[in-house]
Amino acid sequence: MFYVEILSMLLLVLGLVAVASNPAPYYAALGLVLAAAAGCCVLVGHGGSFLSLVLFMIYLGGMLVVFAYSAALAAEPYPESWFDLSVFSYVVVYILGLMVVGLCFFEGWYDGFWVVDELKEFSLLRGDFGGVALMYSLGGWVLVVCGWVLLLTLFVVLELTRGLARGALRAV
Amino acid sequence: MNPYVLTTLILSLGLGTTLTFASSHWLLAWMGLEINTMAIIPLMAQQHHPRATEATTKYFLTQATAAAMILFASTMNAWTMGDWNINQISHPLATTTVTLALALKIGLAPMHFWLPEVLQGLSLTTGLVLSTWQKLAPFALILQISQNTNPALLTTLGVMSALVGGWGGLNQTQLRKLLAYSSIAHLGWMIIILQFMPALTLLNLTIYITMTSTMFLSLKIMASTKINSLALAWPKTPTLTTLIMLSLLSLGGLPPLTGFMPKWLILQELTKQDLPITATIMAMSALLSLFFYLRLCYTTTLTTFPNTNNTTSPWRLKSTQITLPLTITIILTLMLLPITPAITTMF
Repeated sequence: MFYVEILSMLLLVLGLVAVASNPAPYYAALGLVLAAAAGCCVLVGHGGSFLSLVLFMIYLGGMLVVFAYSAALAAEPYPESWFDLSVFSYVVVYILGLMVVGLCFFEGWYDGFWVVDELKEFSLLRGDFGGVALMYSLGGWVLVVCGWVLLLTLFVVLELTRGLARGALRAV
Repeated sequence: MNPYVLTTLILSLGLGTTLTFASSHWLLAWMGLEINTMAIIPLMAQQHHPRATEATTKYFLTQATAAAMILFASTMNAWTMGDWNINQISHPLATTTVTLALALKIGLAPMHFWLPEVLQGLSLTTGLVLSTWQKLAPFALILQISQNTNPALLTTLGVMSALVGGWGGLNQTQLRKLLAYSSIAHLGWMIIILQFMPALTLLNLTIYITMTSTMFLSLKIMASTKINSLALAWPKTPTLTTLIMLSLLSLGGLPPLTGFMPKWLILQELTKQDLPITATIMAMSALLSLFFYLRLCYTTTLTTFPNTNNTTSPWRLKSTQITLPLTITIILTLMLLPITPAITTMF
């Protein structure tokens, strides 16, 4: 289990390097998916299984839309992958930088209480399920506000993009 | 814009500020700030003009950065100190980050670079909303964390904003940029007194909002966004032109107008706190701002530019714009100084 943890943390960092090194949008979206999956694995390892499932599904749902749009907007015949020189130099610089930072903070950063769910033993209810129940009971009004914000965001996006030539995003 | 959408957006602007006002929890306060940002964006871009779109993009990027920093710092504080309460934020790193993020949100120097450019891209009405209503929510947070922030940081932000606000406005010919720099300078005055007397910050904010509303509304009636068009606009309403001059002097902080009150009280409080050098620098920086206000007064009112004869008659036509808000704010902008004791007891 410990090795799986280490592996998923490594994949999380590498996935973020894959995004940050500025490849073509297809590959960047792929890197983001990798980072999301690895981050959710880290969460599972620390006891937040339901939380990580919800996060993964919602995040990947959003990522799918981002991927579709970025693929549609940037239809390049020869997309830059990580092995092209311009991108690869970023990859090398980021990984070297991460190694330097890792050496500086070696042994100091991993302290024991990275526990997502403190109700792991002797408890009928998992902490993340309890959180869902609390969200619907005590946090009811905040949930209403969140729903309103989603509606607002829909209107904002529609208002910014509507009208082909008149739209704000395609100003002349 | 569709009236239903407009209503939704304006209601959400209200909702965002109200949420930030009402919350004692960082997460809800952050939500309020984000709702505020989201709701104003279509209003800013509704002109469908490249410059408005650019201004909207700049505004969105700065506000999103600031909000992310607030979220990051409050999470860090909750992690290390175990407290989500706004006025209990105590970790020095988190407090400093939050202060800088809020300074970015309202446009304090040295995080002010977005403000003149964004304001320049907007219509005067949206600019009015941006420089009044949008400042309220961040200020509610700034006032709540004022007792835990680093005093040196607040002094630096305050003095720099007052100086940059004065210096930046010196060579401008665009009125919205001038108003943006005036906003930066006034925010500097509010921040410099924050650690000693938060009530004065609130008083200065209220009076600044009144004065800048007057300026935006009068410029809207004059329909001018440049100094040279304002210089030729006097025949539209000669009375308003005179009042614009007085409002500009009030913004500059000359007695016996309202704008003198916050500067007077702040300088007095700084002196009482045994900070004569800070008080002197602030007073000197007000002179820088005064220079460009005076220049604006000079071109607007004190000189008559040569023009053809028939341009002097537009005052005969009755204006179709609503003037009641301007009437109220202009009276408040010019005449509050005699009732200073009553005003100070309100805060």
